[in-house]
Amino acid sequence: MTTPYQILGVSEHANDAEIKQAYLNLVKENPPDRDQERFQQIQHAYETIKDSDSRINYELFHFPETDFNALLDHAFQQKTELRSLNPDDFFRLLNAVSIDKAVTGAIKNKSS
Amino acid sequence: MNEIIIGIDLGTTNSEVAIVENGKVHIITDDGKKILPSVVGIDDNGEILVGETARNQYLIYPERSVKSIKRLMGQDTHVIMAGLDYTPQEISAIILKRLKAIAEKHVGQSISKAVITVPAYFSDAQRQATHEAGEIAGLEVVRMINEPTAAALVYGAGRDEAKRMLVYDLGGGTFDVSVVNVQAGVVEVLSSHGDNHLGGDDFDQQIVNHIQDHIKEQHGINISEHSKALARITRAAENAKLVLSDEPFALIEEEYLLEHEGSPIHLTLELSRGDYEDMIEDYINATMDALHIALKGAKLTVSDIDEIILVGGSTRTPCIRERLFEEFGFEPHSEVDPDLCVAMGAATQAAMIAGQDVDTVLVDVTPYTYGTSALGFLDGAPYPYQFVPIIHKNSVLPTRKSEAFMTFQDGQKSVNVRIFQGEDPDALNNIEIGEFMVEDLQDVPAGNIITLTLALDLNGMLHVSAKEKATGLEKSITINNAISRFETEELAGAKRRIDSLFGQMDSSSDEIETSDDVSESKAVAEARQLIKKAETLFDTVSDEDKEDMVNLIETITDCIEAGDEGALQEPVEQLNDIIYYLES
Repeated sequence: MTTPYQILGVSEHANDAEIKQAYLNLVKENPPDRDQERFQQIQHAYETIKDSDSRINYELFHFPETDFNALLDHAFQQKTELRSLNPDDFFRLLNAVSIDKAVTGAIKNKSS
Repeated sequence: MNEIIIGIDLGTTNSEVAIVENGKVHIITDDGKKILPSVVGIDDNGEILVGETARNQYLIYPERSVKSIKRLMGQDTHVIMAGLDYTPQEISAIILKRLKAIAEKHVGQSISKAVITVPAYFSDAQRQATHEAGEIAGLEVVRMINEPTAAALVYGAGRDEAKRMLVYDLGGGTFDVSVVNVQAGVVEVLSSHGDNHLGGDDFDQQIVNHIQDHIKEQHGINISEHSKALARITRAAENAKLVLSDEPFALIEEEYLLEHEGSPIHLTLELSRGDYEDMIEDYINATMDALHIALKGAKLTVSDIDEIILVGGSTRTPCIRERLFEEFGFEPHSEVDPDLCVAMGAATQAAMIAGQDVDTVLVDVTPYTYGTSALGFLDGAPYPYQFVPIIHKNSVLPTRKSEAFMTFQDGQKSVNVRIFQGEDPDALNNIEIGEFMVEDLQDVPAGNIITLTLALDLNGMLHVSAKEKATGLEKSITINNAISRFETEELAGAKRRIDSLFGQMDSSSDEIETSDDVSESKAVAEARQLIKKAETLFDTVSDEDKEDMVNLIETITDCIEAGDEGALQEPVEQLNDIIYYLES
């Protein structure tokens, strides 16, 4: 697997300025007009490690395409999956859940 | 030889066309003029007018002239010019066709490709409409670039030292602000923000309102019912605004503005710069707010900015410079003419695409967040239209992002995908820019995974696709301005229509040059038209005016019968003046 450091051709100890310079040099050689795939690869690598915040994200979760923020949301927010839903279905859903059940559920959640 | 691609700044008030020749950017002039007013009209003979002539005609025949069409781009609407309907795309195409002709005359060969600039804050629909205008004009739009980015390209080209710039672009109808990093030959836009309906036109309107109030107060007349007087006031307001850029006071004078209860109304009004600045203060404040949003988007503060670049004619307003100086503590730059800078940047980008050696690379961002709506939470309560951002504001172009969603019902056969542009957590408060159905899904329990992919291309235009993960069933669309979608046939129809308008002009102007007979009859035809017009007014005018008109008409008819063209001019002008006075 190619790491963002390898894509940009910098060491894992490079600082912000060095990473930025390497990125700009690569962009100069690979303008977005010429090869969009290549450009996006460089851009993505740069955004992954461009500053200390993003590098921490990357070190902690350096799985490709992992969105650290999304993981945090999952860990700390109410467990809800995002689903495409039309309003009719939504109201049908609201009616299907009895008020009693919803209230008991809410109390349980609170006390746990 | 490299193919020629021109750079076009299609502005609300003015347009320009530029080209790179021998490594230098060159604004192409038309009759010595670098600027073409973005005004279109139809003259007495049904011929099309573009630019200065149309701008002048606007005063006398506002109903046969159209200006500031850029403000309507991307809307499902039309304008009426000389009794016929035109879409904003068609009117813009007329301006583009003229610019194309100016460039073709300059290079001596036909041109079919252009880079056109758009405001950074132009929405998807507005970009799509601009692209269509190019097609109607017979121009392949090889790229649309953002106006402040184009300006940054001009200022950033050939500079070695790293600089952070803030581009403040206030044109006739739109405001953009971009934060740009220029370093190592790369012009990198860090963030953009703006307002699609804020510009010099609004400043003019404030002055027009002021004049209207004044006339109402003095004479009790509502001037908005008199279209010609209103056109004259609008022009007077524009002039006063320009004067106030250099002078502390402007005198607004219009004699014989209109007739009221038998007596003529003259307008004389002095406007001070201070009063004018009070009128536009809210607008200037709005630009400053936008500027701070852009800085925040780039994660920078005022002290990180090394240079400010002023773009757009409206930045000549002195209080804008003053406000920027107060905010940043140094003077903004405007060495490159703020009216020409954008076209020059467009030409630079065009040369790059055409393969000429230009040592600057451009990296731009989208000023909008794009996403979809889904069942989620809003303010802690379940909500069916939670906005789910997929491509975030200030993402670098081109970009492609995917998000997985699940079907909600067992055996759900279709999913309705709605695409929104905006920042609000409630999708319904954002702008819906497109919608489509993914049908014939597998008959499986709820939880069927649908992957939605949004891609923004280098033009800032959105492409959307949705895929059922299990089967690979895919449905994709380009958001073709879902609100006012131009089908391919319609586009071709519009092109034919605009071409024929220009065809008329070409053939008739040829005739004038080649044959004296035709030009004679043209003057006579004009005179006859004028007589007809005068006669329609007979019922409404005073006996005195009517007598004057009848006498002039007799003189004109005599001249026509005698074939004396030279004598025709004077009575025609007199009659024209009377009609003009009576109608206003």
